[in-house]
Amino acid sequence: MKKLNRREFIKGSATSTIGVATIASGISLTTFAAQPKETNPVTNEKRWGMLIDTNQLTEENIDDMVDACQQEQGWGGEEHSTGHQQAGWIKKLKVRDTTTGRISNLALMCQHCEEPPCVDVCPTNASMKREDGIVLVDKHLCIGCRYCMMACPYDARSFVHEDLTNQKEHMPRGKGTVESCTMCVHKVDKGEQPACVASVDSDAVIFGDLYDSSSKINQTLKKIQSTQIRADLNLNTAVRYSGV
Amino acid sequence: MQRLLIVFLSLMLGSAFAHTDHHGLNLGKKATELKDSGKKAHKRPNMSHTASLILQRKMHPDLLVHKRDKTLRQGVRGGSVQLKKCVECHASVDEHDEYIPINAPDQFCSTCHQKVGVSLDCFSCHRTTPAEEI
Repeated sequence: MKKLNRREFIKGSATSTIGVATIASGISLTTFAAQPKETNPVTNEKRWGMLIDTNQLTEENIDDMVDACQQEQGWGGEEHSTGHQQAGWIKKLKVRDTTTGRISNLALMCQHCEEPPCVDVCPTNASMKREDGIVLVDKHLCIGCRYCMMACPYDARSFVHEDLTNQKEHMPRGKGTVESCTMCVHKVDKGEQPACVASVDSDAVIFGDLYDSSSKINQTLKKIQSTQIRADLNLNTAVRYSGV
Repeated sequence: MQRLLIVFLSLMLGSAFAHTDHHGLNLGKKATELKDSGKKAHKRPNMSHTASLILQRKMHPDLLVHKRDKTLRQGVRGGSVQLKKCVECHASVDEHDEYIPINAPDQFCSTCHQKVGVSLDCFSCHRTTPAEEI
């Protein structure tokens, strides 16, 4: 074997270092170059919303909506959670007028406010609103403090109290994080309707873009009287109700 | 000098083998099939397959973190970087032909993470097996 003196050894190792650096810069360059086909980011040209007509909506409809939501998102099977710990992304609510005794049934879920109190109070930015108005929890950042649950005027959020397995592929859920209605964002991004809307045959629940003047929801909202629940809070909710 | 060089070289070789020692690595059902069929998974344009695999091995956390924020916050969907696609290829099946959770000991994800002492927190929320065919 040829004896290497100090100078030759340093020369040799320097060449190999340069080689590594070239590979390394090649790697970083290609990382940014390889962009597979992805959809474009959502914009604020749209605002997704829902209109629920409580005159048309029957109690069975609401049960169907709750079932569809559970099926789609995989909540409701928590074995070790007690009553008030159970997840409730969408709830059946009975409202009674104390004077006349008139009872209306509401399906109540996250109202996807324009000014969401949950986002205001979140200490880690986990509670967030997408550009198209859908309010979500980023569970990667959620520390489970539950401030958002206290801030929400609609009691729309729940907390996962136990270890879960076998979640839906599109809906990761885990112990120690807060969750709520996502307006089936995974379906909406594909151009489909949320599961609860699809489960009702009639026009009792309409989903669409509130800004688009040709959309059914926009046209209906222009024609008929509708309300926001707790409109006094000025949250400008995306879920509207008529007939309440 | 020569002794020093030998020590240095053996150290280099040792660390190289530590990275390339993938004997007994459980690639998962679909990934093994792909490999056996000669397909070059994770191959990137303008890069050799080996280099692409090294990149994938080194940078998969960064790729996933980058994409998760884009997907969740901006609604960017599709593309090749998706956790469910990792699970789809790298999950193994047991003798009853049922999928084993990918984060179980000695499964694809845990093999390396155990070795390097990194705790894996994807699967406290994310599904650990490919979704059932509907």
